[in-house]
Amino acid sequence: MLNQLKESADRPQGQNSASSTDQQRHPLYIIEPQLFYPVLLITLLLILWITTFSLISANHQRAQESTISSATALLHTYEAQVVRALREIDQALNVTRRTYEINNGNTTLSMLNDWGLLLPNFLFVTSITDADGNIINSTRAFEKHNVSDQDYFRQQLKFDQLASGQPWQDPYSRTWKLTFSRKINTPEGAFAGIVFTSVEASYFVSGYEESKLGELGALGILGTDGIFRVRRTGEKVVSGEKVNFSDLVPNNEEFEEPESLEVRLQHNSWDKVKRYTAVSQLYDFPLAVVLGLSEQEQMQKVSQLKRVYLLRASVASVAITLIVIVLLRLSLQLKHSRNSALEEHIAHAKKIEHLAFHDSLTGLPNRSFFSQLLSQGIAESKRYERCFALLFLDLDRFKIINDTLGHDAGDELLKEVARRLTEALRETDTVARLGGDEFVVLLPEMNDEKQLSAVAKKILSTVGRPFHLAGQDLRVTVSIGISVFPTDGEDEQTLVKNADIAMYHAKEGGKNNFCFYSDELSADSLERLALESSLRVALDRNEFVLHYQEKHDLRSGEITGAEALLRWQHPTLGLIQPKQFLPLAEDTGLIIPIGRWVIEAACKQANRWLEEGLAPRCISVNLTERQFTDAHLLDDIASILHTTAINPTQLELEITESVLLSNFDRALETLSKIKKMGVRIAIDNFGTSYTSLSTLDKFHFDTLKIDGSVIRDIANEPSDKQLTEAIISVGRTMAMTIVAEGVETREQADFLLASSCDQVQGFYYNKPTPPS
Amino acid sequence: MLCFFVASARSDIVVVVSAASPISSLSKNQVEKIFLGKSRRFPNGSRAVPLNQSEGNLERDAFYQMVSGKSPAQIKAHWAKLIFTGRGQPPKEAASNDDVKQLLTNNGVNISYIDRTAVDDSVKIVALK
Repeated sequence: MLNQLKESADRPQGQNSASSTDQQRHPLYIIEPQLFYPVLLITLLLILWITTFSLISANHQRAQESTISSATALLHTYEAQVVRALREIDQALNVTRRTYEINNGNTTLSMLNDWGLLLPNFLFVTSITDADGNIINSTRAFEKHNVSDQDYFRQQLKFDQLASGQPWQDPYSRTWKLTFSRKINTPEGAFAGIVFTSVEASYFVSGYEESKLGELGALGILGTDGIFRVRRTGEKVVSGEKVNFSDLVPNNEEFEEPESLEVRLQHNSWDKVKRYTAVSQLYDFPLAVVLGLSEQEQMQKVSQLKRVYLLRASVASVAITLIVIVLLRLSLQLKHSRNSALEEHIAHAKKIEHLAFHDSLTGLPNRSFFSQLLSQGIAESKRYERCFALLFLDLDRFKIINDTLGHDAGDELLKEVARRLTEALRETDTVARLGGDEFVVLLPEMNDEKQLSAVAKKILSTVGRPFHLAGQDLRVTVSIGISVFPTDGEDEQTLVKNADIAMYHAKEGGKNNFCFYSDELSADSLERLALESSLRVALDRNEFVLHYQEKHDLRSGEITGAEALLRWQHPTLGLIQPKQFLPLAEDTGLIIPIGRWVIEAACKQANRWLEEGLAPRCISVNLTERQFTDAHLLDDIASILHTTAINPTQLELEITESVLLSNFDRALETLSKIKKMGVRIAIDNFGTSYTSLSTLDKFHFDTLKIDGSVIRDIANEPSDKQLTEAIISVGRTMAMTIVAEGVETREQADFLLASSCDQVQGFYYNKPTPPS
Repeated sequence: MLCFFVASARSDIVVVVSAASPISSLSKNQVEKIFLGKSRRFPNGSRAVPLNQSEGNLERDAFYQMVSGKSPAQIKAHWAKLIFTGRGQPPKEAASNDDVKQLLTNNGVNISYIDRTAVDDSVKIVALK
């Protein structure tokens, strides 16, 4: 749950709104290019092809209309020409027969020819027969002597009008001919023969013009009997073909309006060519004129145009497609670059956000982000009635490490601690750094003490593993305070404060520890807070006093010196022992000014004793770890020596073994500098820890102080006796002054005297007292 | 051999006008137009009335071959079309070279062709350019 909150907090809130305003600013973004351009392409192509096809269709329509009207016009012309040619023929035949009827001589034809009343000789052959069909006169040497069997002859026996027979083929020229005849009457009106003229059938289709009819057009005269008198297509002239007349002229019976000519597109039965075909039946003759325009030829231009249009449209389609593809690619690139710019922007914003909400050193959430997470967590937990735990972590001795190894090492340590914490905890847990060496951990849905203890122990052991920093291995411990929502607080401040209180308790309880918050702790803590605030002003108010415990020479029994012991004369609480306020002073750093005051006051006291005429006494002052590692320690000592003008050998500084061991090299350096000033150094509480003899040898202590616990049971414990004897022996070997602390009985004093101990201090001799 | 004969026969044909005619030279094309009914006037603007020789006369075929390069059938088809479409009437015809000479003098026709051998004072040869 908290993790989700964390994620949502990680995501910049402005992203969505930023992109939506971006869309409003750039209308093209409303439609994705991947969609827009294909739609554009399809639209353009549709427009292009619809236009193309409608153009083609319109052209076709126009061409068809023009072909139909052209066919109509041509047929009308042709009809007129045929009718006129037939009338000319009829007229010439009439002139001939009338002349013959009057003249009745063989010179008729030559006479008419001379007069120019005959049909042109070289096209027409005109002949005259007698009543039996014998040719008696002709414009050309006649091939047939008798034509009485011919249809054009026999027809004249039945009626008196222009007759035309079936086409016949000239046996010599192989050309098809048509013959037209007229009856000759005797003055009495009896049949006297015929006058007839033959002409090549092609004459009637000589008006065929390829420029108008094309190579595949059709022009011809069709008898109502369905026999083509003549038909021409291109240069090809045909006669005598039989076709179905009613197929060509379907409305034969109702054909009354000559103007209402019907042009039909049909496959002509005679040569299977598809033509716009028009047929018109002649009024005077049992003939019809036929005209056909080949669809293929007439539509050729349109077809070519159609091909051109299709080609153009295809080329245009390809071009449009290419352009659109290029545009699409460009716009995708543009979009991509916009997006990457946006992404960069977002990444930058994220980074800034991250910086604002995370600790730059460890990358963990910082105090403000943690505060946000915590308040969100509280809100969520309240809503869903859940619990969670807050762990407040503080590294022990971090200040000392920072001061002795430098800030870089301190930073490295913090990073490593952050890494270890993150590793040790669940994904859903949150680790934050509040600053300095303070960390907090949020454990969602946890309030069980057992579980929380396990987590705390895990953290202790993880952090407790040795660190390798600045070329050396060192151990760091952590103190953990735990508060649980909602029992230990229902708001952010209370939870944090209570976890903090619990952490201080853990620290006071010996560090490297964890502690659950409870109301009792809070009471303690209040006391502590009061103590801390009064400690801060204690120095200014001169509330500190020094008590002195004298050191005695065992042999002479003389007072050789004294150990200065700090006491706090609290205005309301009375005299407070060091163990009650020193840890607090150490934690808060107040130990530094207090310690300085102690040394100075002790030195002044030594001078005072001298002034009182007493023998010079050596004053011992304890240095805490914090003091010993303080960078100004040496300067402070030097300045105190200077201002008090005390003989440096009258000052002895005591440090414990543990101080030495935390940073061996530095301790060695500091101690040797102190020694150089002439100040004595003593190792305190010897025998309680495991200092090796070689260590002892390196530091050249002036004084070795045997811890009171070592000699406490000397009377009963032989091993303690031996240990004491061994320490004294070693100390003597190293030319150190041996001082036994905590001497409380005569037996102890006797034993120490027997063991060649130099000096003693303890209740047996005197309790610490204020200077007299 | 036949080709040679035709060629020589053709080269013997001359275009003639009556001796009194002012026409002295014409182009082949002008002559062709006059004899195919495409032109009714001489270059000087006076009316041209051609006289043909009868169908089947060697002179006729040779003449058309000479001025237009067309066969008798093509000439026939040409006139058939003109007549049929009502755009012309064929020239008058003379049966022989002598008839031509005779008709040229006083029968309304004023240009024709004959064999060179038949040329005499009554007619004038038109130079073909």
